[in-house]
Amino acid sequence: MLEYLTAGLLLQLFINGILFGAMYGLAAIGLSLIFGTMRIVFLAQGTVIVLMAYLCYWLFTLFHIDPYLSTGILGIIALVLGAGMYQLLFRRAVRMEDKNISLLIAVGLMFLLENFMAVAWTPDPRSISTSYTSSSLSIGTLDLSFTRLLGFAMAMLATGAVTLFLKRTFVGKAVRAASEDIEAARLVGVSPHWVNTVAFAIGIGLSGIAGIAVSTTYPFDPYFGFVFSLKAMIALALGGLGSVSGALLGGIILGLLESLAAFFISGGWADAIGYAVFLLVLLFRPEGLFVRSIKKA
Amino acid sequence: MENHLLEIRDLAVAYGGVQALWGVSAHVDEGSIVSLVGANGAGKTTLLKTIAGLNRPKAGGVFFAGKKLSGMSPEGVVNEGISLVPEGRRLFARLTVKENLELGAYASRARPTYKESLERAYTLFPILKTRQSQVAGSLSGGEQQMLAIARSMMSRPSILMLDEPSLGLSPLVVKVMFELIESLNRTGVTILLVEQNIYQALKISQHAYVMKTGKIAMEGSGEQLLADPDVQNAYLGSLE
Amino acid sequence: MRNARSLVIALVIVLALVLVPFVSDSEKSYLIFFLFLTFCHIVLTQGWNLVAGYTGQISLGNHAFFALGAYTTAMIWRADLFRYGHYYFDPITMILSGLVPAVFAIALGIPLLGKLRGDYFALGTLGFGEILKVAFVKGGQFTGGPIGIMLPSSVYSSLRPHYWTALFLAVLATAVVYFMSRSRVGLALVAIREDETAAASSGIHVLKYKVLAFAIGAFLVGVCGSLYAYYLFQVSPEGFLILKWTLYPILMCVIGGSGTVIGPIVGSLVMTGVFTAANIYLPSIHPIFSGIIIILVMLFMPNGIVRLRERGATGE
Repeated sequence: MLEYLTAGLLLQLFINGILFGAMYGLAAIGLSLIFGTMRIVFLAQGTVIVLMAYLCYWLFTLFHIDPYLSTGILGIIALVLGAGMYQLLFRRAVRMEDKNISLLIAVGLMFLLENFMAVAWTPDPRSISTSYTSSSLSIGTLDLSFTRLLGFAMAMLATGAVTLFLKRTFVGKAVRAASEDIEAARLVGVSPHWVNTVAFAIGIGLSGIAGIAVSTTYPFDPYFGFVFSLKAMIALALGGLGSVSGALLGGIILGLLESLAAFFISGGWADAIGYAVFLLVLLFRPEGLFVRSIKKA
Repeated sequence: MENHLLEIRDLAVAYGGVQALWGVSAHVDEGSIVSLVGANGAGKTTLLKTIAGLNRPKAGGVFFAGKKLSGMSPEGVVNEGISLVPEGRRLFARLTVKENLELGAYASRARPTYKESLERAYTLFPILKTRQSQVAGSLSGGEQQMLAIARSMMSRPSILMLDEPSLGLSPLVVKVMFELIESLNRTGVTILLVEQNIYQALKISQHAYVMKTGKIAMEGSGEQLLADPDVQNAYLGSLE
Repeated sequence: MRNARSLVIALVIVLALVLVPFVSDSEKSYLIFFLFLTFCHIVLTQGWNLVAGYTGQISLGNHAFFALGAYTTAMIWRADLFRYGHYYFDPITMILSGLVPAVFAIALGIPLLGKLRGDYFALGTLGFGEILKVAFVKGGQFTGGPIGIMLPSSVYSSLRPHYWTALFLAVLATAVVYFMSRSRVGLALVAIREDETAAASSGIHVLKYKVLAFAIGAFLVGVCGSLYAYYLFQVSPEGFLILKWTLYPILMCVIGGSGTVIGPIVGSLVMTGVFTAANIYLPSIHPIFSGIIIILVMLFMPNGIVRLRERGATGE
């Protein structure tokens, strides 16, 4: 393959990797928020993203709503769904000492959702095609897929919004505080359930955005979500818990790694590289690649 | 029957099968400084945490101005006007000084007067104003303790509980700390203090309790306990 | 606590089970197949129980060890490794099929279990399963690729050897869990589960015990994989390296009651029954069941069926 390698191609690979990685990043941010407050790894994140992708698909196929325009509707649905999921499924479990219970509920939810989607909408892969989905922007020798660019833009906007929320709003600061030390947060009057609900809702909201991006760039099927969850976890492991920008960066790095690996090594092994990196990071730098350690006060 | 601001009646608390407090009764009068002293593991922190709502008692109750506090969530307790400065300070290390203070006023009772409270905190602790944009984890030990106290004060508590505020601080800073506690008290805040530094604590207290293995062993005014030979032998060594 | 009487009852039950194939026609009767499946599930569940129920480490990599065991058997058979031609239900092959996953478990367990974070362990085992899947699919000649390795099904004569071997393994697995739970090792494991730092400061070599439990669990699961290979005669990633082989044991263990000896048995029996019934009457929907059931059980009886009566005895 190396004989095809040019600077232009390399750049193309880079850009594709970054664009795709932004989606992993979104998922990772959601995971990070949920983990920060509830201390569980929400394994069903990827499957929820697929669910959102399906909703986007049906909004388009049945009601002819352009996928990007449906951001508003889907965003709201996702936020409400997130809050609802927390109240219904996790509220009780969070109170119990054993964190494994919440973990298993997430696993159960994943199984439930993927099989539900497979039965309701068949396991055939879907994707959205509109007049512009196959068009691309040409800059010099580069071919930038239009949908990937939009997906990237949405991811950036969403990340920015979440960052602003966490840094500037009172509730956002409460979420950050609770992620650091829930007991101390309670002592200043922060209600854990409220904070968890907010974090969860945002996490699912981000899944909505990621779902839209996925539906327009990639064929998806009900079982795709699990692998996406894993990728999001890898991104999170790379970026470190507790940092929104870290999670995004982790996703982008993973996207880059995959893009380059897929070119230089044949398809299947590229996936394995991701997991291998994951295991390595878990073993040797579990706090992530970017987190500077701050002493506990 | 006197009306105590805070009343603890026959409190029994267990941590997962292990009993930590056995029938503890105590009271705190408005405007006073009350100390809880005793060896490690005597149950002092458990008592404070129970009052703060972090533990649910097995038996007995905590009453604040006649209202039953035990069984309330910590968020509820803060809103009633009791604030705990926990052991080890427990600041939000990655948030700035200002953000920590902001969060101190999270409770609904504190939000309307947030700006005032912030000004007051900066007046009381000018160093915090200087460092307001700094991340809390980067402060020195003494500054962190001040931030922790300031944060708890933001909720405008009637009773301020402090768990081992002098822990890990140099003697000079400790002295400042106790002076601070006294001046806070003079502004009308009732203080409930748990301390390893028994001498200093008893010196400033109107009333005090000695705890031993989950029970109240002795009770009296600060002076009385300081003069008591048992207390002197057990806890004060060869101090004046 | 088990006493002599329970032991006698258990023995009677096992004896009765041994005799079933003599009473019932193993080829036509669904009962034999159902029991065979249940016994397999018991083995897998006890394997997970040992690690999660007793040590408190959630492993999401059961299916990896299951597949490793199956592939070991298939590869030995296909390569005629011992040059003696009969590998069908060969004890040495089966034991090796248990040892290979155990070795992997040790290799994986030492670094992963050394971290105090349970999530990392769970995720690490998950990642391991995925890497293994890629390795098997891309293994070319060595692993048979996506289609896997085909075994000569001509040696199959009846389901009886499967039945009895599965019964033996189920009894073995339960016995292992039983004896470990009553031994010093078992006490150490429970101590680790309840409070790791306390256990460590009491002088318990935490890592050693965690890895031991993990390896033994992997061994049991691997041997079961070997048995299942003797049943399917085709060892492929799609048949063995799927999450179902992790999820079902977790489900059964949790429903029955993890951290108990009987829990996995009860859970396996109940859930195998439920799934079989669902498969017959509602074939297309039944996978959705497992998801709903896990959620409901975790919400309302997180301690499992076996412990329904002792609410709050161990404190919440």
